[in-house]
Formats: sequence, structure tokens, C-alpha cells
Amino acid sequence: MKLLTHNMLTSHVKGVTKGYPLLIKATEVKVNEVEFNPEFVSRMIPKLEWSALVQAAEGLGHLHELPAELTPDYEKNEEFLKKAHRVLLEVEVIEGCLQCPESGREFPISRGIPNMLLNEDEV
Amino acid sequence: DGAVTLGPQTEAIITVTIGATVPTGFEHTAADEVKEKIGVEARISRDRGRIYFQITTDQLFQVHLLRSVDNLFVVVDEYEHYQFKDTKEETLLDLQQLASKLPWTNALEVWKLNNSLKKKRSRRKGGNGTKVKPDSEAMDAGMAEAEQQQPPQPLSSESQAKEESTPELETIAQEPEESAPEAKLIKFRVTCSRAGDKHSFSSNEAARDFGGAVQEFFQWKADMTKFDIEVLLNIHNQEVVIGIALTEESLHRRTITHFGPTTLRSTLCYGMLRLCKPQASDIILDPMCGTGAIPLEGALEFHNSFYIAGDNNDMAVSRTLNNICHIQKRREDKGSVPGLRIDTVQWDLCHLPVRTSSVDIIVTDMPFGKRMGSKKKNWDLYPSCLREMARVCRPGSGKAVLLTQDKKCFSKALSRMGGLWRKLHTVWVNVGGLHAAVYLLKRTGAMFGQTPEDVHEPQGMANTPEDEK
Repeated sequence: MKLLTHNMLTSHVKGVTKGYPLLIKATEVKVNEVEFNPEFVSRMIPKLEWSALVQAAEGLGHLHELPAELTPDYEKNEEFLKKAHRVLLEVEVIEGCLQCPESGREFPISRGIPNMLLNEDEV
Repeated sequence: DGAVTLGPQTEAIITVTIGATVPTGFEHTAADEVKEKIGVEARISRDRGRIYFQITTDQLFQVHLLRSVDNLFVVVDEYEHYQFKDTKEETLLDLQQLASKLPWTNALEVWKLNNSLKKKRSRRKGGNGTKVKPDSEAMDAGMAEAEQQQPPQPLSSESQAKEESTPELETIAQEPEESAPEAKLIKFRVTCSRAGDKHSFSSNEAARDFGGAVQEFFQWKADMTKFDIEVLLNIHNQEVVIGIALTEESLHRRTITHFGPTTLRSTLCYGMLRLCKPQASDIILDPMCGTGAIPLEGALEFHNSFYIAGDNNDMAVSRTLNNICHIQKRREDKGSVPGLRIDTVQWDLCHLPVRTSSVDIIVTDMPFGKRMGSKKKNWDLYPSCLREMARVCRPGSGKAVLLTQDKKCFSKALSRMGGLWRKLHTVWVNVGGLHAAVYLLKRTGAMFGQTPEDVHEPQGMANTPEDEK
């Protein structure tokens, strides 16, 4: 699971109103190379919840000086874009789980795939 | 002149007409791709599923990189209004005589050039790879069991075309054409496809008689299975096209190695993706991804977007992952940066664990009543699907491209969603013999939770609408 994906995911357990962001508990993390495209990164940033991304990266020990706040003109800052690229696309959680911040319900991650299926009573 | 010499390739660049078969309904998107990548206008034939365009022979390798085409052939000659004779005997005799009058030379040159392109591709792989066996569209759910035991199979040689394109360019320019053995006996067969109700003959008869004359003329040997040259005789009402095949088997099994019961061929996936015009950094979901054919095609061909492939089924997500890993390993082996902009999640598409209004495009193959699921299930499923997809899709700019065979059910479900979805375009397609449709939808500007559809319970759903997360 890439952190870009994590940024999109939310808990949908019945009754939960604050299901985002999911907490990551990782037992295995890998870094895989993805080709850098500055336009992709800069156009993606407005679609993200930036603080959730920073929090997730920090929790995995992969923050590497990614700033907690976005600076103006980030689109032109290649150093910054490269760091964002790495955190968004290259850091992958292979084993672990995602935890709903409100209900505590855990969703397992196996082979990099989070299993978000709910039981009938949770829907 | 009927002699075919197998000497060194001529240096001259010639202009020929190429014919391509494409998934029916996607002729225009294929023509678009030809315009974009080859730079020429393609003509859409009255014979559905075929387009024609002119190239110079130095463009042949580029033609093999097209993602919307299933099969390619070089046109020997074409007649828009062929004058068939009155009786069967006269007509067949006429076809026989035609064989010796056709301008074979250029087409055969292209066939030779094409062979040398193919040889170089398979030599790079270290000999011919084993061909992928499963006929993806013929599979039904009952074969899923057999599927599980099947070990991953290497892709056929055609599938390497895209990845090897850049290195191939250099190879062709520098390597001299290998000299073929003298007087090698050429084996051929004729394939005739005939459509129209005014013909006095059958396709078999035409193939037999035309083929006999071709054999006589060239002194080739007829062989139905191990042929070097496949001559195509396409008769569609009064339109007659004679061609020579440039592809051995459909290009469409390029991407997927781990098949599922309803894996879509990649030309169809490509056509669907091209319809929605993915932009840089678009977030694209396939909430019923099966083996991941659509998002994987997207991650390769429209690679500036981000794809999330999801399914509720264990085998489906596992196969999707295996398919992704296979492609990434192949890229790594070739020295490319392996990582693709794609991820896999296991989820229930009626309860997507995805933030509201966060997705730009949804592309998916919706379960067919006959191939998967059931008609009754679709009545419940389609409205729930459309609502949930509307929730996650970005209002105003979001789009959906949905393939379904159950057009009645889909139209009904869609008609109750006018506040959320607007139908832009429908493409009528043929998937494994079933008549299906691809709907291109635009997400309206209305925020989810505020249209009348959201207030009333949609048909089949027991829950009340969720609060916006």
C-alpha cells in the first residue's frame, strides 16, 4: 500500500464520523523505485490531505525532512517535489494493518493489499 | 509476376495500406490513436471492427506499438464495389483468376520486413516464448477452479513489442538483413471472412478456390496450421479486401498473465481508458477490477495518473497483484524503473473506504448477468454501485466509463440518478460474443447528499445514506 492510497482511504464502519485518517501499524515496509514526474506530484498535492501524509510518513520513519506545512511556490521546488514523490509513491506498507481512529477496528494489510471488507454487523 | 525471392531486404521505403481489426465500437478511438502515434488519418470501414491507414514501411515497428488494435494486416488490394458474377460457378472462377492479377509485390515486401521485426523481438527474448493459452473471453465462472492451478505463463512474443520499442529502433538500423536460405518452400493458408446476404458462395468455397489459385500462382504449399503466410480474403457485401496477416495471434493478451474468469482483453481496456482521457495526476479507480486488466493497462499507457484497483474477491486481488508484479519484474529485467503508479485494495464496492469527492475517474467492467453475478443481483447492485461511485467521484469534473451487458438494468438505474450522473456517450461493443455497452458518464456538480436520489432509499438498499466522511 502506497501512502498516496492511504491518503484516500477512510474508515467506513457504521456510525463512525471521524474515520480519517486511518492509523498505520506496519510490520514490513519497502521502498520501490518509481519514475519521478514533477508535474504529477505538484498537481497531486492539492488533492491530498497534507497533514495526514506527513503523519503517516513520520509514523513509518520515512519522513526524511518532508515539511509539515506546504510552502508557497512548492510547484517549482524540485527538491521538495522529489521528497514528496518518494513518500507518496515509493514507500510501501507490505505487512501490518490500518486502524480506524474512532472505533479501533483493524484492517489487515497483507502483501501490500489492505483488506477493507467489513463484517455484516459493521456495515 | 509471381516469383517471390527471399534475398536481402530492399532499401526502398514503400507506401502501403495497413488494415487493423479493433474491438467493435472502438473504431474511432483506434483511429484517434493512429492519428496521435502514426500521424495519419485512418479510414473506418463499413465492415465493423476494421480501420485502414497508409504508412511508409519505416513506420511498421510503430504500428506494432498501437494499443487499440487486435490484429494487423497489409492490404494487397481492395475493391469498394466488387462486381460479383451471377452464378456461383462464374463467381468462384472469377476469384480464382483474381489471384494472378493482384499487385502482390509490395504487400509481400512488407510481410518480409515484418518477419524480420518479429524475429528480432523473439531473439531478444532468447527464442520464442510460450504462447499464453487461455482464451480469456471463452472462460466462464466454472473454469475458475482450473484457473487456480495454472502456473504463471510467459507472454507471447507480440506482447514484448511495446517494451522493446526503443532498443529495437537501433537494432534495425544497424543489423544487416540476414540472408534467408535459398529456395525455402513457403507454406500458406487463406482465411476468408464473408458477410452479406447476396453472395452465391460460402466463405469456405471462396477460400478453397482462391487459395487453390494462389497456390498455383506462387507454387507455395498449403498448410492450415504451420503456415508462413496467411492470406486474408475479407468480403463484406460488395467490399472485398485481400490482405496478408502481420500478426500471428491477437495482440490482446499482452498485459495479463494471471487470468480470471472474465478478464477483458487489453485492446478493450485501452479503448475504455482512451474514452475518458486520463490527465496527469488523475486519481482513477476500478472498484470491480477482477484481474486488474483495466488499471494495469492505464498504469502502462496513461502513466501520469494514479490507479487504485479494488475488488471484494480474494482471488481477484491476488491475481491483480500477481499481474502487477509480473509487469514490474519484466520492466526491471529490461533496466527500466519498475514501479507503476498503481495499488490494490480489497473492498466492497457498495461501501467504498474512500474519501468523498476524492476520485477523478472510475473505469470498470460491471458484472454481467450471464458471465458473472445474476440478473436479479444486478437490479440490486447497479443502483448501489452508481450511488457509491457518485459519492467518491469529484463533482463537476469527475467521469465514469462503465462497461455492462445488462443495458436495461443499467439504464433504469441511471435514469434515477439524473442529479448525480449525466450520460455523455454510449459505445456499443461486443465482448466474448455478448452485446454490451460502454457508458461514458459525467459527474454533475451536485454535492453528494443533497440531491433527491440521496434522500430516498435507492431500490434494493437497506441502509440509510452515510454521513459525509
